[in-house]
Amino acid sequence: MMKHVAERCLAALLAGLCLLLFAPGTGLAQSSIVIGHPACLSGKYAKAGEQAVGGIKACVQWVNQEYGGISIDGEKHKLEYKVYDSESKKESVTSLIGRLITVDKVDVVFSAYSSGLTLRGAPITESHNMLYMDHGGANNKIFEQGFDYVVQTIGPATSYHKGTLDMIKQIAPEDKRVALAYEDSEFARMVMEGAENYAEELGFNVVFKRTYPSGVNDLTPLLNAMKAADPDFVLGGGHYEDGQLFCSQMADMDFNVKALSLIASATLPAFYEALGTNAEGVMGPSHWEMGVTFSEESAKEKGLPWIGPSQEEFISLFKENTDKNMKPDYHAAEAGAQVLAYALGVEKAGSTDSDKVRKALGDLEFMSFYGGWDVNENGMQVGHTMVNIQWQDSKRALVWPESAQTSKPVYPMPTFQEKDQGAVAVPE
Amino acid sequence: MFGEQLLSNLAQGIVLGCVYGVATMGLSLIFGVLKVVNVGHGAFIMVGCFVTLFFFNSLGMSPFVAIPAAFLLGLGIGYVFYYSAIRRLLKAPELSTLLATFYMGVILQEVVKLIYGSEYRGFRWKVGSLSLGFTSLPMAKLYAALGSIAVALILYAWFRKTRAGTAMRAVVEDDEGARVCGVNVGGVYAMSFALGIGLTVASGVMLAMFLPVGINPYMGAEYTLKAFVIAVLGGLASPYGAFFGGLIFGIIENGSYTFLAAIPGVEPFGMTRFLSFAMLLIILLIRPTGLLRAK
Repeated sequence: MMKHVAERCLAALLAGLCLLLFAPGTGLAQSSIVIGHPACLSGKYAKAGEQAVGGIKACVQWVNQEYGGISIDGEKHKLEYKVYDSESKKESVTSLIGRLITVDKVDVVFSAYSSGLTLRGAPITESHNMLYMDHGGANNKIFEQGFDYVVQTIGPATSYHKGTLDMIKQIAPEDKRVALAYEDSEFARMVMEGAENYAEELGFNVVFKRTYPSGVNDLTPLLNAMKAADPDFVLGGGHYEDGQLFCSQMADMDFNVKALSLIASATLPAFYEALGTNAEGVMGPSHWEMGVTFSEESAKEKGLPWIGPSQEEFISLFKENTDKNMKPDYHAAEAGAQVLAYALGVEKAGSTDSDKVRKALGDLEFMSFYGGWDVNENGMQVGHTMVNIQWQDSKRALVWPESAQTSKPVYPMPTFQEKDQGAVAVPE
Repeated sequence: MFGEQLLSNLAQGIVLGCVYGVATMGLSLIFGVLKVVNVGHGAFIMVGCFVTLFFFNSLGMSPFVAIPAAFLLGLGIGYVFYYSAIRRLLKAPELSTLLATFYMGVILQEVVKLIYGSEYRGFRWKVGSLSLGFTSLPMAKLYAALGSIAVALILYAWFRKTRAGTAMRAVVEDDEGARVCGVNVGGVYAMSFALGIGLTVASGVMLAMFLPVGINPYMGAEYTLKAFVIAVLGGLASPYGAFFGGLIFGIIENGSYTFLAAIPGVEPFGMTRFLSFAMLLIILLIRPTGLLRAK
């Protein structure tokens, strides 16, 4: 008797479990779609990597909870995020991508960060016919290698300083002397090439143009030579650590220019934390900033479909998904937007097959909190426009383009001596 | 204009060279006495930079106060590493000590990462600058150079005027002979290793005074590479030679920029590194023991 009761209970339990698992609408029956990511959580790019992971987690959460998962043939699939720390090392990136594809069986690989690491990982994903989405490698050369599966969300490097040059041409047309000094890396050289070409196109006079090695710890010889060239303004940088050094040593030498714009460093809160008032007035191009005005309405105006959280929702999700009390910067936004692009790509393709999703992404155009998204036939981002920030009274102000301005640009910026005495960059 | 730039770069090079010099003395001391190549050298410098950061940012104290604190911390770390690993490996093949020191560096990096995280940090020490006419030198850099010279002189006096220093020199000369004369060679080994590490960690303070930005757990690799060049330049087993080697290296690294920049089509910064390593190769070919012999 007892045996029969036990058997019936077990059968009922199993039936209940089956109902739970396969009942329509519960979402538990469908397999997850897995994003693999060899993130830079330590080492050289830890700062940007931490932001990217926060942005991805925020948008994965949005897709799963608010959007209800990714729809394929009427069935909803949850997104899963598999992340490893590549320590910002090339050799780790390649081995982790291999592991993500062959062991973890992910459906898509997100690049680590930086042009160098992105380029290093691309041959591995190509050899596995795996979609490889690039949120941190801006070098145009990535898209000149004939890769079939690379799709970019971050904007191309050649456009980084276009906004700064446009701005200076408009607000101070008499200042023609520009100095360029960039890190000797794939990405920064490409930014320099784009800046030089555009500066000449706008009629600026490039009075100084040099590179410095990665991992440099003293820039004084270069800055001495640059000072002798007497530029009106300086464009340069490469990554966070050398950007910090660049500004710090200009302050040490009391080398003053009317504007200083540094890529990939001036936009980070840590830049101001380390340099204090010396960072006042320093500018940087950014792919996204808090305060940009992309919304469902602006998407409608442009005739583009909208997906994703609003800016406020994204910030709140980002904070929920990061341990520290961090604010998202553009590294977080571009990585998050990439999740949204992938979700739309899979839905459009009706499959997670890399070939089909790659084709769908090629035809995709949309807008999110990050701005426009559209890629050309090589997978390079062409739909996104950059903004320029400036440190004003210890806050990042959006100063360019005019349509996105939260504050007027301060030009010329205060001298380092003035800043030492407590002067801050505040527009009149 | 050319002359002014050259003078300015040379002045910066001298100041930087003093810091490079003191940052290499520990490496040379350890090799001179124990014949151990400390490939984790840069990580110990990094620890000194974080000590400065702690004193300046957390305690609000001058980086000068961090020099003795960093030295004592380094001394402690040195004794711990010596008795836990190096002592057992002194008679083992060279590869064992290479690996041991490499992993000491890795351990330090990871411990610092656990405490501070991996992000780049910096601080701002506002102490003005000194105008030399052709250029202005930040006082923080000058203090770093003066601190380096002071540390080098104290070490020199310690070697020459104290019994422990004399014992150490005797062990460098002939460890068996020193043992016969009653010197506690094992104790000298331990003291030399600890002193070398103490000096290296203290040099990290000077480096952080010179460059108060870009401080992170993985910053040491660049300095390890430079320290090897400087140590070979000055004579691998000679701490004083290392100091002068650092001075020469700093002058060449900064001074050569002005000449290289005058050559059309040359990226001078990349070439200064090439020049530094080419110089190392030439010195090794001409004088394999370095410019100054072990003393």
